[in-house]
Amino acid sequence: MGAMADRLEANVGALADTREFGAWMTSEQKRVFLLCRRMLNDAEEADSATQDTFLKAWQALKRPESKELDDPAKWLTRIAVNTCLDRLRSRRWQFWRKRPKPDDEETILNFASSADPNAEAQIFARQIAERIGQALTRLSLRQRAAFTLRHYEDRSMAEIAEILDLDVGTVKVHLFRATEKLREELHDLYFRDREER
Amino acid sequence: MKQANHDDFQRWLHEKTRAAEPEVSAEFLAAQRRAIYRRLDEPRHKFSTRWALSLATVVLVLAGGLTLERRRPAAPAISDEQLFSDLSAMEQRTEPKAIQPIHSLFEE
Repeated sequence: MGAMADRLEANVGALADTREFGAWMTSEQKRVFLLCRRMLNDAEEADSATQDTFLKAWQALKRPESKELDDPAKWLTRIAVNTCLDRLRSRRWQFWRKRPKPDDEETILNFASSADPNAEAQIFARQIAERIGQALTRLSLRQRAAFTLRHYEDRSMAEIAEILDLDVGTVKVHLFRATEKLREELHDLYFRDREER
Repeated sequence: MKQANHDDFQRWLHEKTRAAEPEVSAEFLAAQRRAIYRRLDEPRHKFSTRWALSLATVVLVLAGGLTLERRRPAAPAISDEQLFSDLSAMEQRTEPKAIQPIHSLFEE
């Protein structure tokens, strides 16, 4: 770390400073990891994609021609989404690829609805989360990205359009189709949940 | 009606996705940060392993293609005179080419 710290001391930009970058990374890390996790539906790959995202961000910030960032979080989200989309595109060719064991994923993630202390409700929330995760894999890449940014990241249509480099109308179409597909996939859970209320 | 169902489902979905916020352990995040710092410190390679593999595959495919191309027997060379005479014979033939196999039935 010493050599790196010396080298980084020389960088002037706010985020290009190691300590600043480290603090920023810590504040954004969980959000970026969960975004990658939801897009890739694979904890191990999401870990690798998160590392790539911060590495790319660091390299971009270190470049002398790097511009001032209006919204670093949005910029980082864009890098993360593009990293995930690249991985999903290359995954299409990896027919030999195996899913990691569920136990391995369990060690990384501990799905629990902390808001509800009721055990049954927690199990149901977990079941819904798993089903949504599976259903997301059946969406197109753009639909998945738009859905994740809208529902998990609470991004506005304009922000999603900017992140995905699309116009707002196209984002609305992607979201509408994604919701319709998910409605087909999750209708049993939806009706079960409504009946229980 | 359909729009109302769509909106209602969308609200339900949003509520559920927000409720199912997974907990990520602090140890895992710390280990991930250490891995990122390690990678930041590594010298940047101009060509990644993935690029090297892609390049090797392209070279192999090209080499294979060239080998097959060389093995293919060359077409027999014919003289220009022979070619012109064959072409003019084909041009002067009045019979359609499709009935040629019928002739072979009557040949001894």
